[in-house]
Amino acid sequence: MAFEAFAAVIVGLSGGLAVGGGFVAFIAVLGIIPRLIQLSKRTTALRSFEWAIILGALTGSVATLHGITLKVSPFFTLPVGLLAGMFIGMLAAALAEVLNVFPIFTRRLKLEKYLIFLMMAIVLGKITGSLFQWLFFVKY
Amino acid sequence: MERRVYLELFNDKKAMDKETLFVKDVARLEGKREIVSQIEQLPVYTPTKKDENYVVIDVLTILQHIHSALPDIHVIPIGPKQTVIEIAREKQPLSPLFVLFFWLLLYIGSALAIMNFHEDVSMLLVHQKLYLFITGKELAQPLLLQIPYSIGLGLGMIIFFNHIFKKRINEEPSPLDIEIFQYKKGIEDYLSATETDRSSKPWPSKHSPQ
Repeated sequence: MAFEAFAAVIVGLSGGLAVGGGFVAFIAVLGIIPRLIQLSKRTTALRSFEWAIILGALTGSVATLHGITLKVSPFFTLPVGLLAGMFIGMLAAALAEVLNVFPIFTRRLKLEKYLIFLMMAIVLGKITGSLFQWLFFVKY
Repeated sequence: MERRVYLELFNDKKAMDKETLFVKDVARLEGKREIVSQIEQLPVYTPTKKDENYVVIDVLTILQHIHSALPDIHVIPIGPKQTVIEIAREKQPLSPLFVLFFWLLLYIGSALAIMNFHEDVSMLLVHQKLYLFITGKELAQPLLLQIPYSIGLGLGMIIFFNHIFKKRINEEPSPLDIEIFQYKKGIEDYLSATETDRSSKPWPSKHSPQ
């Protein structure tokens, strides 16, 4: 019994370490935090942004693993949904940038002038795709 | 001392087809006024049909041109050893239909990609669980969470790329601007390294100093 508990603790701890490390590495590679610091013009905010990521990950894992509920009005989901979407949007944009899609696409096809116009296509496409999925697609 | 001129090549330059490039187009100089203005007017290169999109001009070619005309000037080159000239040709304006086609391609493609992503990471399940976590109620379609989420998705991308449809949030270049700059610089570095002229540049004998 004692051995089993010990083994479970070790496995749980190492699993959490690996996943947490991977998560932070992923966020670091995509450069979302430097981007937010650049936009907010506050280099001193770095530490608090790091803690925001850590606490967010902890809240998420505790909430999903232990079935805790807050039992507040559904309207609290509005800001949560908006911020969750913005984060995924930044993730998607950062990923597209890491993959170097835009420079190659626009230069090869001589579309430099239309860069922002084409950006809008992607942004609006993401919004439409997502709305379509939640409003209609999930019913099938 | 006064016959000495410093020359710095520019990093890049755009030129029209068949437009003769002078020294002043590819470099800047430091030296005595009369000598500098004399050197600046020397022709360096005229792009021809044979050249494709880029021409690489190295500093030795320019020194050869200067010394052929003004043999007793001591030119000291500083900065890059080559300059990449991008040749702009007359090109027919892009058809709006073509642009529209690519717009739709990106639009449909990114809509499909985000749906694939949502399915892949079980986003609906996560939204349902998140809704349960906040409200304590189970709901198959937590739209109150999902509609702001979808709008936030677009907002997040705009924030990352620093574009609110042409208007900048601040004056710093966006990651996309830097990405395109890096890509262009990569092309220029590659051309400088691979297409550069490796031959020696002797003066024409009629000018050789006796």
